Amino acid sequence: MVTKIEEAELSRLESQVDNGGGGAWDFLCLVRKLKVRRSDKVLKHGLSILNDPKKRSALGPDEWTLYEQVAIAAMDCQSTEVAKDCIKILQKRFPDSKRVGRLEGLFLEAKGSLSEAETAYTSFLEESPFDQVVQKRKIAIAKAGGKIIKAIELINKYLETFMADHDAWRELAEIYVSLQMYKQAAFCYEELILSQPMNPLYHLTYADVLYTIGGLENLQMAKKYYASTIKLTGGKNQRALFGVCLCTSAIAQLSKGRNKEDKDGTDLQSLAATALEKDYKQRAPDKLQLLTCALKSLRVSS
Amino acid sequence: MAGHGDSGSDKKSSEATDLPIFNAENLQSNMKVIYYCRTFMSIIGGVTAGILGFTGLTGFIFYLIIMGATSVGLIAKAGFSVPSYFDSWNQIVLDGFLGGLMSFVLFWTFAYDIVHIF
Amino acid sequence: MAEDLVLDTAIRDWVLIPLSVVMVLIGILRYFVSKLMRSSQVPDAKIVKEGQLIVRARNLRASANFIPAKSFRARRFYYSNEENGLLFVPKGQAQNAQAQMFSDPNMAMDMMKKNLSMIIPQTLTFAWVNFFFSGFVAAKIPFPLTQRFRSMLQNGIDLSTVDVSYVSSRSWYFLNLFGLRGLFSLILGEENATDDTQRMMQMSGFGFDPTRSLGAEKDGLDIIQHDWALPKFEQHAESVLQKLVH
Repeated sequence: MVTKIEEAELSRLESQVDNGGGGAWDFLCLVRKLKVRRSDKVLKHGLSILNDPKKRSALGPDEWTLYEQVAIAAMDCQSTEVAKDCIKILQKRFPDSKRVGRLEGLFLEAKGSLSEAETAYTSFLEESPFDQVVQKRKIAIAKAGGKIIKAIELINKYLETFMADHDAWRELAEIYVSLQMYKQAAFCYEELILSQPMNPLYHLTYADVLYTIGGLENLQMAKKYYASTIKLTGGKNQRALFGVCLCTSAIAQLSKGRNKEDKDGTDLQSLAATALEKDYKQRAPDKLQLLTCALKSLRVSS
Repeated sequence: MAGHGDSGSDKKSSEATDLPIFNAENLQSNMKVIYYCRTFMSIIGGVTAGILGFTGLTGFIFYLIIMGATSVGLIAKAGFSVPSYFDSWNQIVLDGFLGGLMSFVLFWTFAYDIVHIF
Repeated sequence: MAEDLVLDTAIRDWVLIPLSVVMVLIGILRYFVSKLMRSSQVPDAKIVKEGQLIVRARNLRASANFIPAKSFRARRFYYSNEENGLLFVPKGQAQNAQAQMFSDPNMAMDMMKKNLSMIIPQTLTFAWVNFFFSGFVAAKIPFPLTQRFRSMLQNGIDLSTVDVSYVSSRSWYFLNLFGLRGLFSLILGEENATDDTQRMMQMSGFGFDPTRSLGAEKDGLDIIQHDWALPKFEQHAESVLQKLVH
């Protein structure tokens, strides 16, 4: 998680470096620490340090970390030549290193030879079967090669051991959604909510999945999760507001014939509608017409 | 290292809801900050007590005062809304009290001996 | 005599200060050495899995109220059913694990290593202090104490007439050992390996016992009441929106 303070610091350093104000190394360190993706900048500034022998030797042992960072950034930017050079230097320095082996696998991937990379990773896993990064790379290869089912299998296998890794759960959930396997996706999102109960994004997507599954019970649950998203974001999330409106009208439709005991939902819906209208009035007055039409159709049907 | 006793507690849980929801990580980082503040203050307090030459009960009373001041400082840093950052009052008032005492006695003795005994 | 014992300033310069400085330096050195030794260990598959399992079960326990009751029950069953639940450890096996730990030479080796890395520097420093600084009255604590503390504070000098608040050099070493912990946690950051008392605690518990924590986690899961928090959220959302609209 990147906090606001860190983000401000990062953007400050970024602009400083871009304007030639120095501090390139600090910027690179911060990028590494926060794990943000600024590959183009990392490539540019990292190379400028590496090409200057005086600056490079001033880093001491951190020099090799920088080589690694630049190599990955170069692969991300598809400048394979640079990546190749970096990896070669690292290989010369650390001939038996697993970390460099991982880089080579990555390099094969970046070149597009997925099957070669996969065999490299597989042999790598035989040596150290609990390398999380390599396992994840294998999953990524399967996904990139279009073998979604295999990717799912691999993630499941990975999660059997590393079951507290919420990023993997999230990836799995997204794959399931893309395959329209909503029940499974719902399970994954529940897992995500369990690991980070205060993250509104998971509540929101879980509600989406529940709404898509349909059925009265699921719709009611979806509405509750949209409500919790509204609560957690302070009502700033349009998707959740729309979600509440949609759910309410869908619930009303489904339970039309039955006794209307839970009328409490309408309150929330009208509030959400007003909030939406207010927001549209402020930010996009020209689209207000569309919104009122849409909301009216929802209300008419209820 | 915190420059002053209560300047280090900037990593707080951002939730200030009326529901009893705590982010375990943030809570832990809060506890850590408190622990650091207390240790830091007890070392500083010990050195001060030694240099000022407190002996006997006066020194321990000084320790109590220092810890009380730290507690007040921490509470002030938390914006006087302790329940939104911590589980209970005990944590902010008492945590690290005994752990700090050992450091306090050591540095008190050290400073006192160097300044007054020799 | 007890009241006005004059200590030589040379004692301060050559005993009190060097001893304290050496203690600090040794603490820092040990921190780095233990850091080096720790990085070389390979995680065991079962332990990794159990650790992750515990994290996940703890998550479930902590935020059970955020998922619907049905999902919660399904998960609880998955974790703690009596046939193949993840957290369920058969009775016989629990005993076995203990026995296994004793019989497994690797485990014993590991324990020994940990033990040694703690004891060796400790003994060495103690021997060094004993050799160089034995028999000094090194310091005076600024508060009075009763006679019972004599053996603790005047370890190494046999004078029953000296006031108890005078500290011998060997006892000053012990005072340092315990009192410097706070300083180490300040200068070495979060995970300082020099926390002796905590280590001793772990030692007495004979390492990390996964089966026991699995069982504890299972018990915790069994007793929690599921109280879905989401209906409450609906009202909260209403009040939030009301504030926003008006």
